[in-house]
Amino acid sequence: MSIKVLKDRIVAKLFTRFPGLLELWAKSREFVINVETPWALFSKDLSESRVALVTTAGVHLRTQPPYDMVDKEGDPTFREIPSHTPPTDLMITHNYYDHKDADQDINVVFPMERLRELEIEGTIAGIAPKHFSFMGHILGHHIETLINRTGPEVAKMLEADGVDAVFMTPA
Amino acid sequence: MGLIQRAIEAEDIPTISISLNRMITEKVKPPRALLVAFPLGHPMGNPFDKDLQRGILLAGLKYLEAIKEAGTIVDLTMKYRIKGRKCTLCEVEAGR
Repeated sequence: MSIKVLKDRIVAKLFTRFPGLLELWAKSREFVINVETPWALFSKDLSESRVALVTTAGVHLRTQPPYDMVDKEGDPTFREIPSHTPPTDLMITHNYYDHKDADQDINVVFPMERLRELEIEGTIAGIAPKHFSFMGHILGHHIETLINRTGPEVAKMLEADGVDAVFMTPA
Repeated sequence: MGLIQRAIEAEDIPTISISLNRMITEKVKPPRALLVAFPLGHPMGNPFDKDLQRGILLAGLKYLEAIKEAGTIVDLTMKYRIKGRKCTLCEVEAGR
């Protein structure tokens, strides 16, 4: 294990153990500050809606390439997760948060089984054919890639899948 | 995550996200967010706590319908919080 990976994992554990650190980190960092917010009215009934999940928790299929943990500015790429994937076929690559709990139960960061239960009981009409995952540690020039390329790409794929609503989870 | 959320909403698909930090969410301004008092890595709460995870997911879908103003952050920190390893106050939600 490289020194960078070791350092990232220790910091990640500290952030989970001491949530106040997140507040300090947020104060010390510059974020993309937006003035206006896009808006799409949700006008359907839930029971008629097809819902997808999008997470930035670094989830991917075991058979997919992991996210780049070497680049200090992160990895703006995404992975398609077929919505009926068994949780055991998933894994997490993300050294910037402690995912020990999510490794045991993927629903902690990616509630795919809970959403499926809502589909079975009829609370929602259905689950989208695929969900999407990013690795939410995006800095520097990758921010532009996320805003202008990979974010809109996922949006268009969700639209093509007839998705009516998206529930999103951070790491 | 807010940046991806904004891209999806711009494609005319309604979205709602879980927020673990109000300050970040206020800066990025996603269309709709639910603020919970969970540590990093636990947006849906504790592992194997199905009631808690279901409660948060249902709250998200409910507020997807209820929120009518862009940039709204609904504060659920008093309802959904994890202290130590236990979810507190969620007993009320689960009717226990």
